[in-house]
Order: sequence, then C-alpha cells, then structure tokens
Amino acid sequence: MQKLSQRNRIFIALGILILVALAVLGVDALRRSAPTGSAVGPEPTLVPGGIPIYVDGRLVASFTPADLNALKKVSFTEAAEGVVQEGWLLRDIIGLHVDTGQLKPDALITVSSSSRNKSAQVTWAEANDPANWVMFDLSNRSTLKLVSTLPKLSTRDQWVQDSDKIEIVTR
Amino acid sequence: MKERYFTTFQLILLALFAALIVVAKIALRTPLQLPGHTGIFWMAIIVMAAGVVTKPGAASLVGLTSGILAALLGLGDFGALDTLLSYTAVGIGTDLAILLLRSLDSLVVCVLVGALGHFAKFLVKWALGALVGVPVGFVALGQARSIVGYVIFGGLGGLLGGLTLKALRRAGFFAYLAERR
Repeated sequence: MQKLSQRNRIFIALGILILVALAVLGVDALRRSAPTGSAVGPEPTLVPGGIPIYVDGRLVASFTPADLNALKKVSFTEAAEGVVQEGWLLRDIIGLHVDTGQLKPDALITVSSSSRNKSAQVTWAEANDPANWVMFDLSNRSTLKLVSTLPKLSTRDQWVQDSDKIEIVTR
Repeated sequence: MKERYFTTFQLILLALFAALIVVAKIALRTPLQLPGHTGIFWMAIIVMAAGVVTKPGAASLVGLTSGILAALLGLGDFGALDTLLSYTAVGIGTDLAILLLRSLDSLVVCVLVGALGHFAKFLVKWALGALVGVPVGFVALGQARSIVGYVIFGGLGGLLGGLTLKALRRAGFFAYLAERR
C-alpha cells in the first residue's frame, strides 16, 4: 500500500465506488425480477414493485410505475419542517383503476407498509379534497411514502414510508 | 500517564462539527427534490472535521456523535436505528476513504472522499431496507438515480469542505491549532 502512487489510489477508490454501485444495482434488479409476493408481503402483487389495490377485500389492480405517465405530478411544502413533498395524489392513483363515482364520501382507504408494520386511514372525502394533499412522495430509496397536510398525516411519524398496499372499504 | 488518542481540544472540535451537521440538517433547506442533496452540507462538514483533526477515526467519531444527536431528535424518515447507522456510516466511509487516499491536501481527493463517505450512507440505508423487506423500488432505475445523487452531492460537499480547508490553511488556522495542541 505504501508504494502505491496517489494516482493509483484515486483509481482504486473510483473502482471501488463503481463496483459497489454495480453490485447494488445488480441485487436490486434480482429483487425486481424475483417471483412476486415473497418480499412484498403475504398478498401477491400483479407486478413486482407494484402496489396492489384492494376493494372490499378483492384485488382489483396493481398500481405500477407505468401508471405514472398518466398522472400529474404535484407538490406542496409541509409546514412542520419546510420539506417539499413531490409526487402523485392518492385520488388520482385510485381513479386510474377504480370507478371513483361509485365511492361514497365515507369510503375508507387504508394505505399500509408491510415492512414497517404501519398504516394510515383516510376517507374518500379526505383523499378527494385537493386541499388535503393526500399523496405519495417518492422516497430516496424510490419507494412510495404517503404524506398529507391532514393533521393525522402531517408529521414524519404519521407518514407511511415504504407503502406497499392500498385497501378500500366502500361500506 | 498514558496519552489519550484524541486530546480534549480535539474532542471539543469534533463535537462541535457533529452538532453543526445536525443543525445543518435541520436548518438548511434546498428546493432540490433529488436523493442525497443534503450531502452538500454535511460532507463539507465531515471533510472539514477530518481535515482539522487529522487522526484516523475523527470522521467516524463525528458521524457517530451526530447520529446519536439526530436519532434523539427524531430526524430521518426511517426510524432511529436507520438514522444512527447511516450517520455513523458517513463517518466510517470517510475515514476509510482517507485511509486509502491518505491526505486531504488535493481537491480531487476531497471530492472523492466526499463521494465515498456519502455513498457509505446510501449503502447502509439500502442494506437496512433490504434486510427489513422494504418493497422493491417503485420507479425503475430509482436506485441508480439515488446512487448518482448521493455520489454527486457527496462529491460537491467534499469539494466545499476541501475549499474551506484550503482557505483555513491560507489564513493560518492550522498554525494556530498546532499551538493549541
């Protein structure tokens, strides 16, 4: 090590960085192509990495990255920490796969994360009101995080990080 | 009497740097919606800390201390353990990079140290996510975007830290420090 020139050391450091980054991407690609259901949770999803949407216990669709092209990106700055949350409204996501005209205002929507054992509930009336900003923000590790300006979803502890399931009970 | 590895003066300096990281994380906001953008602030501080206290382990100590502070203050989206480990990883990654690249005299080295140190944070977050069974990233190539973000902003932070060290050197700060030791 003592005999290595500074130039070689820099090349080694760059090599380590590139190799580890490629390893991470490789493992991520393997996880993405793995059979569905194993890493995501007890219920199967239609597409690996997609988010299943259940209506009254019945799997009706899977929200996939391809759906993002059809959705408008929105953002708001949350009051507590001044962080900009940017992503897609929950009502728009549901609207892609569910006839929202049939949903009553008190229909209950549960967004949960199996890995964090966390969930949050909002009514359709709350989700459908754009002033509440009930939306998914894309986290640093490219998973979805449910955030909102609603008091029950406005702080970091209340957000649902790594969301992987949407359930709707129409009542 | 056995001499201590870090002098009291050095420990105070490192604790101040650790506090500065947490303050920067809370107070400094950028409108950027890119993964790892806060690396600009804290890799600058970590690189400065490692340049001011030139002993192996200095950056790790700053990382660990700031991690404890940040975890106690509830910073980070993914819980206290994730916060503590990822902050500590920044310090350890920085120390390992300096061990390989030796000194922070050149700006190129500072950029690389910043990039590697910040990438260590990404690695810990990614590994913890995989361990607890976090769903696969929603957006295809999302991880690639994150890696690029962490490396670029870490490198920029390293550059800022390197420039600050250069300015401190010119101003005679290190001669002053040598007297204090």
